[in-house]
Amino acid sequence: MPDDDPPLLAVEDLHTTFYTDKEDIHAVQNVSFDIEAGETVGIVGESGSGKSVTARSIMGLIESPGRIQPGSSIRFKGEELTGKSEKEYRKIRGSGIAMIFQDPLTSLNPVYTVGNQIKEALRLHQGLRGKEATEAGIEVLEAVSIPDPRRRMREYPHQFSGGMRQRAIIAMALACDPDLLICDEPTTALDVTIQAQILELLEEIQEERGLSIMFITHDMGVMAQIADRVNVMYAGEIVEKAAVEDLYNSPRHPYTQGLLESIPGRNVGKERLSTIEGDVPTPNAVATSCQFAPRCPEAFEACDRIHPSMVEAEGYGRDHTAACLLYPEDLSEADRIDHHRERETPVEEREPTEDPR
Amino acid sequence: MHEEPTTITERIAANPRPALVWLAVFLALFALEAGALIQGVIVLVERIIVLLPTEAGLSAVTGAKQAAAEIPTLISREVIPNYGYRTPDGAWVNTFPENLPYVDSGLEPKWAWLIRNVLAFGYAAALLGWILHGYNVFRREYREADWTPRDDALGRFRRHTWGKAGFVVVFLFITMAVFAPTLGPTTVDRNIVQPYSYELTYLNEETGELDTVTVGTANTESRSAGAGDQNFGPWSYDNYDRFHPFGTLPQGTDLYTFMASGARVSLFIGLLSIAISGTLAATFAMISAYYKGLVDLALVVTGDSIMSIPQLLLLILLSAVFAGHWLGEIYSGGLLLALIFGFSTWPFLWRAVRGPALQVSTEEWVDAARSYGQTPRKTMTKHMLPYVIGYLMVYASLFIGGIIITTSALSFLGGGLGVNSPTPEWGRAIAAGQDYVATQSWHVALIPGVLIVLVVTGFNAFGDGIRDAIDPESEAGEGETEIVGGGAG
Amino acid sequence: MSEQLAPAEAGGDHAMVEVRGLKTYYDEGALRGDPVKAVDGVDFTIEKGETLGLVGESGCGKTTLGRTLVQLERATDGDILFDGEDITEYGSAEIKEWRKNAQIVFQDPESSLNDRMTVGEIVREPLDVHDWPALSVEVRGADDATIAGDGTVPDADSDRTSDITVDPRATGEPVTVRDRLPFSAADVEVDIDRDGDRVTRVTVEVIPSKHRLRQQHVRNLLAEVGLQEEHYFRYPHQFSGGQRQRVGIARALALEPEFVVLDEPVSALDVSVQAQILNLLEDLQEEFGLTYLFIAHDLSVVRHICDRVAVMYLGNIMELGDTEELFGDPANPYTTSLLSAIPEPVPGQQQERLTLRGTPPSPRDPPTGCPFSTRCPVKIRPPEYRDLDPDVWEGIDLLAEIIRQRQQTDRSIREIVKETLGLERQFAEVDDVVIELFGFLAEDRPPERPAEDHADAVIAAVPDPVRPPLETIVDHLRADDLEAALDVLHAEFGSVCDDEFPAEYPVSDSGRRSLCHRHQDEYRDPEDVFETITHR
Repeated sequence: MPDDDPPLLAVEDLHTTFYTDKEDIHAVQNVSFDIEAGETVGIVGESGSGKSVTARSIMGLIESPGRIQPGSSIRFKGEELTGKSEKEYRKIRGSGIAMIFQDPLTSLNPVYTVGNQIKEALRLHQGLRGKEATEAGIEVLEAVSIPDPRRRMREYPHQFSGGMRQRAIIAMALACDPDLLICDEPTTALDVTIQAQILELLEEIQEERGLSIMFITHDMGVMAQIADRVNVMYAGEIVEKAAVEDLYNSPRHPYTQGLLESIPGRNVGKERLSTIEGDVPTPNAVATSCQFAPRCPEAFEACDRIHPSMVEAEGYGRDHTAACLLYPEDLSEADRIDHHRERETPVEEREPTEDPR
Repeated sequence: MHEEPTTITERIAANPRPALVWLAVFLALFALEAGALIQGVIVLVERIIVLLPTEAGLSAVTGAKQAAAEIPTLISREVIPNYGYRTPDGAWVNTFPENLPYVDSGLEPKWAWLIRNVLAFGYAAALLGWILHGYNVFRREYREADWTPRDDALGRFRRHTWGKAGFVVVFLFITMAVFAPTLGPTTVDRNIVQPYSYELTYLNEETGELDTVTVGTANTESRSAGAGDQNFGPWSYDNYDRFHPFGTLPQGTDLYTFMASGARVSLFIGLLSIAISGTLAATFAMISAYYKGLVDLALVVTGDSIMSIPQLLLLILLSAVFAGHWLGEIYSGGLLLALIFGFSTWPFLWRAVRGPALQVSTEEWVDAARSYGQTPRKTMTKHMLPYVIGYLMVYASLFIGGIIITTSALSFLGGGLGVNSPTPEWGRAIAAGQDYVATQSWHVALIPGVLIVLVVTGFNAFGDGIRDAIDPESEAGEGETEIVGGGAG
Repeated sequence: MSEQLAPAEAGGDHAMVEVRGLKTYYDEGALRGDPVKAVDGVDFTIEKGETLGLVGESGCGKTTLGRTLVQLERATDGDILFDGEDITEYGSAEIKEWRKNAQIVFQDPESSLNDRMTVGEIVREPLDVHDWPALSVEVRGADDATIAGDGTVPDADSDRTSDITVDPRATGEPVTVRDRLPFSAADVEVDIDRDGDRVTRVTVEVIPSKHRLRQQHVRNLLAEVGLQEEHYFRYPHQFSGGQRQRVGIARALALEPEFVVLDEPVSALDVSVQAQILNLLEDLQEEFGLTYLFIAHDLSVVRHICDRVAVMYLGNIMELGDTEELFGDPANPYTTSLLSAIPEPVPGQQQERLTLRGTPPSPRDPPTGCPFSTRCPVKIRPPEYRDLDPDVWEGIDLLAEIIRQRQQTDRSIREIVKETLGLERQFAEVDDVVIELFGFLAEDRPPERPAEDHADAVIAAVPDPVRPPLETIVDHLRADDLEAALDVLHAEFGSVCDDEFPAEYPVSDSGRRSLCHRHQDEYRDPEDVFETITHR
């Protein structure tokens, strides 16, 4: 049932390209998805899939030689973000959208105390100073379950353990009371027991504050625990979108299927893990056909000619879509090919404008 | 898809033409100057033998030297002379091309000299270009790997304008140093060291006849010591029809010859110091990074102690101590300087590369080498040193500039410091000219000064270029992956 | 998973690897303070052909243990027996020779290969170091014959097949060459000198040069790990992470070791590539009869590939046993907590998740008693507190943790000076901490009430019998006496878990053992206590 209110974040046709000396890398292409208030949307993919670049594009952190192509749209609370100046973006970062990164060690400045850094965030986004800021800082450290927060405010990042650092970063992100929290592999560098703590913490915070979370990871286990809906990315494009149970119980895109079949956690007791042959390609051209076709066990001739669009992959209107020529299932192969060809945007339109160099 | 493993000789044998073509041209180029090279080597050997207590091979060497003098060298004073004189009827004798058979009249000394210099620099450039071309031939035809990390680095350097500019300046400087005896309008021995042992012929304006005079006397008439006719500025002739591209010094000696020879001295000192200092720094960096712990601590303490010795005092002291010794004789103190610099500046270089060395020692491939029993020495040279060399080159290029400046400064101060008379050194030229800076003889101090600035800047720029060329390389193409993937996850 | 060999079948009467009381400490010495006790006394064996998994979180010492086994770290104490011989006693020449038997595959494919060398050179280097192949020659039926030419005398200790076997009595081809070598009998020329019937001398000439042999061997290895032969001349740059890891594996196998330590070999790889590498490792194990020590922090990977698993925590092995058994029915409290923290890739599963509190203690200052005592959810309590409200108990635990952390903090000079001058208390915020930990017992604090008063009110709300000792503790803290506070905590709330290091107890018939006091008869088993916690 479509919501009448616009979603908190609506990304449409995001296309980000990096112009390096050797080649142009289309790190993100045709990416469209929504995030509603209070929900957790996951983006899962392997390296080279473009998930980090998507997050950075949303945050406006793409710098030369990278560039968001015109025609991309990122709407946050109804406001268009692409094309905003750095100054305008700064207002949105922090109190609108906050981001936490993978490596807690490098996200904190080692020469300032943690308290100092939290208070800086508070000063920038909520205008608090002095004692007020300290109290607010302590409160927010408490909210992330750091024991003895008053003392911790005076300590330096190196005196924190890895898990606590990540909590401190979450605290800093929360200090500004954002509506959307983007988490880029926040638990990948952490031990599994600490990871469990952080995931629990995020769930708690989400419940308390009605926060929306965009969670990026390559770990299918973590994704299953934390996400409500999932987008699967491959070589810069989204290849499948579904609610989390649907994705895991009936994955539709051959890539998602291959991925799930190759993780040991889901294949306990199997002698050999099935693998996806080959390697992830570097997307150095705009996609004109299915990028997964060379590795796909179910590929057929049309897959190398036509670029698949996102179509319904499960016939019950349950919002499960996949970019694959095998779907919609109920059509014949010829019909499916036509269906996709109709929706295919011509290459010239998708071809980005001239290189900004 | 089975490639037979081959060695490089096999590969060349399989496709000999490009290699042979390159080799042929190279040998041809080499032959042009072979005479000079052979003579140079023999002279060096002779000097070493002279230093040794025995008289063993002296006669053989002297004989060889004479024989070598017979070998013609294309770009030489003999083939393209410029030290000629005018005859009363206006023709130039003993300047190029008059020395050639069937030619009656020569060019003015000015042009003869210019031709020789242009040829010399041109030759050097051609040689360099041909060697680089040889590398390309190798890469295209004979190298097994179709891409190495070095290619990327070279490509980056090729695009680095400032670095290339620096490279050009460095190249010109080195060429000047190497070809010094050929470049000047006259020789050091004739003009500077023993001017009264040589005679020159000239057309006496007053009598209209040819006359001879000692070079020394001619020099006294050619001083650049201030105003009016007491000055022979750049690109001028003196009263004896001798050409002075850079003018003359207050003593009357030719500045260009002085500079060219001084370049040689400066380069020698610079290179030797860096060689000593760099080798020590690299060795110690490897040792401290590999063994760490107490060894590193000991080196740090040693290095710090050496760094804290005041260099100027050390120089003065050692110059005095070695005053009569043969060490102090070579290049009139130049060798001594080089040794002192080399052994007292290695801690600075070592400190600079200790960081990268320690960093590379934490890489897993060093551990891997230990895990299959690789010897420490091989581990250090194969797995650690290549990563440090780049940084070393950068710092070395900065240092060499510093050494050139320091040498000049010391020579400027004089009094036994630096390189003494009669060996030419740029700093002394500045010292000689310092009184005349505000006069018409400004060229005496200014030209060496400007050249020092140019050369040092050139070295710095070159170092800059190297650093930018190697730096992203040590990140190994990560740039792309970082952009796209943001890590392994 | 490979077949689990019964101990009797394993080669000889020795396990391939036997570790006894191994300790590896770093930074020892008076000037450096407390040493880091990375590995603090472990015992285990690895049988030939099996895969032993070693799991634990960061700082538990598993990587150090792996590295110590291949002699990249010096063992501080204890023995490592390899095929019955103690390698910790070896001198450097013997170690170098021994290294042919045991190799290691590193974690990070970016950093474990030297970027300046081609893949071929990288895999070849171990061969060059050891002058491979040794070309050992065994002469059948003539043990005293001298070996001349390219051949060498085989190593007396090794029970491996010699490279070349010459049988002078054979009717057909007298020469056989070991399978894995990249040349055949046709490349060997043999000259046999006899004295009557007795063979005195055998001269062996191998036609291809060692250089060629090594090149071919490298090509064979590259093919075996799934790369192509032309990759020999490529640089690591030009490969993906998974391919680089294959190169690392090829390099480890170059010297034909029997035992390979795999230090998190798939942790840095993508999921789909992980599966490829895991399959490869299993194939190689089967083909070459390798024995693996598989170090990982990803438990699902370990479950897939390992026969037995050892779970490490703070330098000790907490549990060791058959994989399926351990995963299905963990005996040790740490194992149970670890397993319950794994996020299953099955959504919507209401996991009985036990989120472990706190962080592991520093290896420089491990707890006295059981290493897990500071975080154990089923720690033994003194009998009078058995049925205490778990939140109150948690408060006590946290208080202990906070005090201990305070003790360890490096204080700045300024702070120390202030303390000495009495200007600042070390535990300045006792009251805040009390309120934080036990405040749920009392009503909310009215804003005007000073912290100290509210703290007293909170303490008053704490139930007997906890309140009296808690009051004493807080008094000590207010007086800045951390030592005394800890003593009271210890005496009152401590138990055998804090005092004594636990022994290893067998917990199943298959030889599984676990390090926990609760396995003793007088205490309840950990599983039972976990039941009560999760079913609250």
